[in-house]
Amino acid sequence: MRPDGVISSHPVVRRRWRLGGLSAALLPSAIALVLWPLASWLAPANIVMVFLLGVVVVAYYGNRRAGVVAAVLSVALFDFLYVPPQFSFAVNDIQYLLTFAVMLAVALTIGQLTNALRQRADDAEQRATERAALFGLAASLAGSMTREMCADSVASFLRDQLQGGCTVLVPDDDGHLSPLSEATGYALSQAERAAAQTAYDRSAEFDARQLGRDDGERVLLVLRGATRNRGVLAVAAAEAAPSLAGRIELLRAVADLLATALERIHYVEVAAQSDLVMRDERLRGRILAALSHDVRTPLTSIFGLAESIARSPQLADPRLRQTAQALQDQAMRLNTMVSNVLDMARLQSGSVRLRCEWQPLEEVVGASIRHSEPALGDHQVELQLPADLPLLHIDAVLMERVLSNLLENAAKYSPAGSRIRLSAQMQDECAEICVDDNGPGFAAGRESELFELFERGVSEGTVSGMGIGLAICKTIVEAHGGSIDATRVPPATDAGEALRGARVVIRLPLGTPPLVETEMGEQP
Amino acid sequence: MRSGSPAFRQTLLLIEDDAQIRRFLRQSMENEGFDVREATTLADGLVDAGTARPDLVVLDLSLPDGDGKQFVHEFRSWAQIPVLVLSARSAEGEKIAALEAGADDYLTKPFSTGELLARVRALLRRAAATREGEPATVRFGDVVVDRSRRLVSRAGQPVHLTDIEYRILLCLLGNADRVVTQRQLLTEVWGQAYLERSHYLRIHISHLRQKLEEDSARPRFILTETGVGYRFMPPANAPD
Repeated sequence: MRPDGVISSHPVVRRRWRLGGLSAALLPSAIALVLWPLASWLAPANIVMVFLLGVVVVAYYGNRRAGVVAAVLSVALFDFLYVPPQFSFAVNDIQYLLTFAVMLAVALTIGQLTNALRQRADDAEQRATERAALFGLAASLAGSMTREMCADSVASFLRDQLQGGCTVLVPDDDGHLSPLSEATGYALSQAERAAAQTAYDRSAEFDARQLGRDDGERVLLVLRGATRNRGVLAVAAAEAAPSLAGRIELLRAVADLLATALERIHYVEVAAQSDLVMRDERLRGRILAALSHDVRTPLTSIFGLAESIARSPQLADPRLRQTAQALQDQAMRLNTMVSNVLDMARLQSGSVRLRCEWQPLEEVVGASIRHSEPALGDHQVELQLPADLPLLHIDAVLMERVLSNLLENAAKYSPAGSRIRLSAQMQDECAEICVDDNGPGFAAGRESELFELFERGVSEGTVSGMGIGLAICKTIVEAHGGSIDATRVPPATDAGEALRGARVVIRLPLGTPPLVETEMGEQP
Repeated sequence: MRSGSPAFRQTLLLIEDDAQIRRFLRQSMENEGFDVREATTLADGLVDAGTARPDLVVLDLSLPDGDGKQFVHEFRSWAQIPVLVLSARSAEGEKIAALEAGADDYLTKPFSTGELLARVRALLRRAAATREGEPATVRFGDVVVDRSRRLVSRAGQPVHLTDIEYRILLCLLGNADRVVTQRQLLTEVWGQAYLERSHYLRIHISHLRQKLEEDSARPRFILTETGVGYRFMPPANAPD
């Protein structure tokens, strides 16, 4: 029992239809009954008028078909009851045929017009209701703090307005859609899920036909945000409800509202996330700074106190002096270790920002050698730096740390007094810096592990160090867009006596150094 | 009480909050013949600096009651006494700020007391030299710089320096034993407009080293303070 042509299945409208169907039969009959005792008083023309009034009433409250039924019935009753011979459809006066024809025509026309008017009024009323409901939906979406709340708002709107169910599908980080809350919506079939994914990926709309169901009961709408799609709204009409096809505009409006709400929630989450990350980073930075200060203060005391014992003129016993000096050495070593650990923590937390400037490598190398002088002991550092090496875009402080670490490592793992060589050359758009020593070299096959945290090249316990130095070097070099590798010194590559130990190679990308205007009077 | 002691004793003001560090520094400084005044906060330090009239201030930059840079700035507004700051490693920004506020030199914790005393002596000598007027001729290694005649020679041979190189050299020599930040050098030699072009400075320093140092990769006199600036180290003050 579905009214044809009427898209809406609004309850009020349905009630009106039932009333109309009934009145189509009842009202003309009632009119006929009421007029019966007055028949002798009334002119036939007036009786016709009253019947026509009845048709207008039926057409207004009922639908088109009811109007037609009432019109025909009125003509029939008029003929049967009031046109002589009474109680017969036969007509004495042939002129009445014209009356019937005009009466039928007028009744049908009035009925049509009245019904169309009514229809339009109904539509307007329904649109107003929808609009009010949409405003309500917009307000409730604006107040929604989670995606689930959004989905619930939309679900209750569609239930009230369309008697339909819906499921909101939202993408995960990889763009795969999944239903937001399966419980409240209807469960999508596998094919519908696939169609939804395609719709999302291609920003296309799917109606029921494309889903393999041409009953107009399923609609998939892509939720279009300002920057990208935010998901898919799948709407299913209830069994008894009318087709969704006529309501597509309304559904699009709902989808747009939902997309806006989901997008807002997305950005709120992004903002909250970045705020959290920022606070986290600030806290980490503060902890590291405090730790660094708190550890260095006692270390400075130990170092200084040991030094003042060692320097004290009252100290006669040479063994005590040696002890004091050893204390000093150990304090310094502990400091290096702590610095390395803190640097690593700082580098790994990402709180270190590179401050790259165009630097001559020679200057950084010079500073590193000076910095690691105490650790180098009686090792000789041999430098092979080509004069035409271009400026490198590096953070000098961090790169000095890399080179110092490598030099100190080389000194630590090679025999006392042996040579350490630091060389550089240009190689395929890269500056290649090598630190070679004359030690036992790295264990074959384990070179890449060396740069992992807490790996040590040699397992013997005579040389101290936590193996964090190389990991720091790797982190810093990679932050510069370069690479670091451990190999062996290739045999007899140069004229000098070759070293036979380990080699660490750093490759740094060559940029385009800024031009420096030559000064007036510059010597060629 | 300078008048009480027979010899002329110089006073150092030590502003440091850690008692142990103060203890061994005081001990070593007194062994070297200095009078030592101690302060544990910046506020006390500023008062002491006014009343005790020290010859040099050693200042820890990480004091709990405030900003060492602010102290140096205020102190510099009325006193020309040298200031040596102590700071943590990997705090280049802090060092630069203190140096630009007017500090003369810095040491990174933990430091050797010997090194600290050498720096203190160098700064005191420098302060004395400034009072007496600096000599026109400076010698380091086999290089002689005659500032009155704008002549530079190395091992008796004249060395040609470009205008900019000479101005950098003058700036470094005039601040011997002090750390000159990149910014200070750039402003002094090129002017404010060139602050972004620190690579100019590095290239010219490198040329200067090639002309004046025995091994430009291992300079002995024109030293790099990585991330901070440069220092001219006169031969007499090089640590043993």
